[in-house]
Amino acid sequence: MVRRDPHRVAARIVRDAGGSVVGRTRMQKITYLAQLAGFPAEFRFDYRHYGPFSEELATGLDIASALGELTEEVRVSDWGGTYSIYRLPREQPPADPRRAAFLQKAKEIGAIELELAATAAFLFAEEGIGRDKPGNPWHETRARKPQKAAEGRLEAAATAYADLRCLSTPKPLPELPPP
Amino acid sequence: MRGPKPQRMPKPQRIRCPVHNLIEFGTDQFEQTLWRAIQTPPFQRLRRIRQLGFSELVFPGATHTRFAHSLGVFHMARKLIEVIRRSIGADRTRMYGHHQAQVALAAALLHDIGHGMFSHAFEPLAKRLRLPSAEHERASATLIRDSEIADVLNAELGSGFANDVAALIERKEPGNLYDAVVSSQFDADRLDYMQRDRLMTGVQSSGVDPVWLLANLEVAAVRTGADDASAGEIETLVLGPKAVQTAQSYVLALFHLYPNVYLHKATRGAEQVFAALMERLLRLAADGHTAKTGLEERHPLIRFAKEPGDSARAQALDDHVFWGALPMLEEAEDAEIARLAGALRGRRLFRCIDVRAQIAVALPPRKDEAREKHQARIALACTRAERLLRMAPKCILTDSYSRSPYKRVQESQSPLNRILIRTTAGSPPQDMAELSPIIAAAEPFHILRAYVARDDDKAGRTIENIVRTSTRGGEEDGQA
Repeated sequence: MVRRDPHRVAARIVRDAGGSVVGRTRMQKITYLAQLAGFPAEFRFDYRHYGPFSEELATGLDIASALGELTEEVRVSDWGGTYSIYRLPREQPPADPRRAAFLQKAKEIGAIELELAATAAFLFAEEGIGRDKPGNPWHETRARKPQKAAEGRLEAAATAYADLRCLSTPKPLPELPPP
Repeated sequence: MRGPKPQRMPKPQRIRCPVHNLIEFGTDQFEQTLWRAIQTPPFQRLRRIRQLGFSELVFPGATHTRFAHSLGVFHMARKLIEVIRRSIGADRTRMYGHHQAQVALAAALLHDIGHGMFSHAFEPLAKRLRLPSAEHERASATLIRDSEIADVLNAELGSGFANDVAALIERKEPGNLYDAVVSSQFDADRLDYMQRDRLMTGVQSSGVDPVWLLANLEVAAVRTGADDASAGEIETLVLGPKAVQTAQSYVLALFHLYPNVYLHKATRGAEQVFAALMERLLRLAADGHTAKTGLEERHPLIRFAKEPGDSARAQALDDHVFWGALPMLEEAEDAEIARLAGALRGRRLFRCIDVRAQIAVALPPRKDEAREKHQARIALACTRAERLLRMAPKCILTDSYSRSPYKRVQESQSPLNRILIRTTAGSPPQDMAELSPIIAAAEPFHILRAYVARDDDKAGRTIENIVRTSTRGGEEDGQA
């Protein structure tokens, strides 16, 4: 479990991400990928139907919003769901420049592509699909999320993931087989 | 010369169920095949796994099994598929997905065959020890692909059928309308267990009205996406306008079942004792100290401890195996195993200390403080307390859990984890939290409890210290 107060850890991720992050999905997935790339691993992630998800991070965000470490603005999306925008209440420079470069690049990826990329990475790294079990994590991601993977989004996710692998990180993101 | 043995004429099969009354399996190839799948050892094993684990220690009637539940889920799934068939049949431009419907029905029947002993009680420990059986969905999928169930399904329904069923259970996110029968807010699983658990425990609140819900379900295309990005439309089941109150009751029923039944402190306490006992047993056996456990080398629990990755070893375990082992475990050379086994066998449950409640008392609301902020301070102190409890001596058993009966703002909202209601013809379905202020205001349940032996005063004092330490900074948290 998280070793420090989860709201402070969550707020620091937003800080390193440039002071704002749009969406709970985006927040979860950039955090997961950053941890997978070796940046301090604070949160435990499980597989949910929307891919890797940390209850601890979700709790940390809720506490941070309520106690004023972050602000949360809830908006209605054009597809009918709601999404949150997290912001630091006042501007602060990144605490970890290398992580900041990673998070700021990751948060530019679309939320669906991020979900697909984080899911494929999770299936490879945690479930061993394509590593020590047969199968391809991208194919498995497409099978699990056919709607989201459609219209070239899976390929875009693979490209975005490959771009993230080019960044300087404490350890390289796992190299996934091609989709 | 004798000719080939004449094939037996298929005959309909009937089961009486305390919830659904009559559950029938017809003479067609599909339902006869499912009937044969029920006769396989992996499915029959479900007769020996109680649906509610240790709840029977609190609710003596709660002895129902995963076997009865699985049949009930199939029954409800058939009704949901009928809703889909009716809805699609009314539209001449669309085609009913016969294969997809059959896959969903088979998945409904078989979705629980990977469950470990005492249903969910073993999962947190298995997860902590990173055992392959930690997630029952994955274990179910493996069994459907690799056990005799695959032979039965593939021989009659096509070579890829078992794999299609396993993939549906494994992927968690419904890929099409038919999958929603297995995984959505109105899936067959929930429609069965809410009725069955209420009936068998005897709790009188938590009633649902499945007849009215089913009569008002319809198929609709709804938009989906993640955060601010759209991913097009997906078909799912939505409710018609006359079911708003029924849907509200449905969510409130869950709201009552959780504290009354699923999170009952005695049930959860027994689960903690069971998990502590299993952890000790698995470690001793894996380290070559089987003799200290009181069990023989060939006991299924010991074989599992030595090969936890072998699904056959996991399948050899069930509630009966565990209860049968308790007299031997009670005589174990290892004092901790003997103590925990005795506690479970004699229902000498540990003392429950509601840490969250103590923290709430220690952190009263400030003058003019918003409720959200006050709750956040309590939640923060609980995360601190849980961290300390997890580092405390093993004699303190820690239980934490959170559950939202209906969460409007999820990590990623999708039509499949929302209850959508079509209020007027032609308008897009609305989230039921927009229509029901009660549901919109429903807060998640959080528990943080510690369990200690009744005579362990030292452990009790340690917990008091942990509560004090965790709340010490709580007065300043959130202060400008």
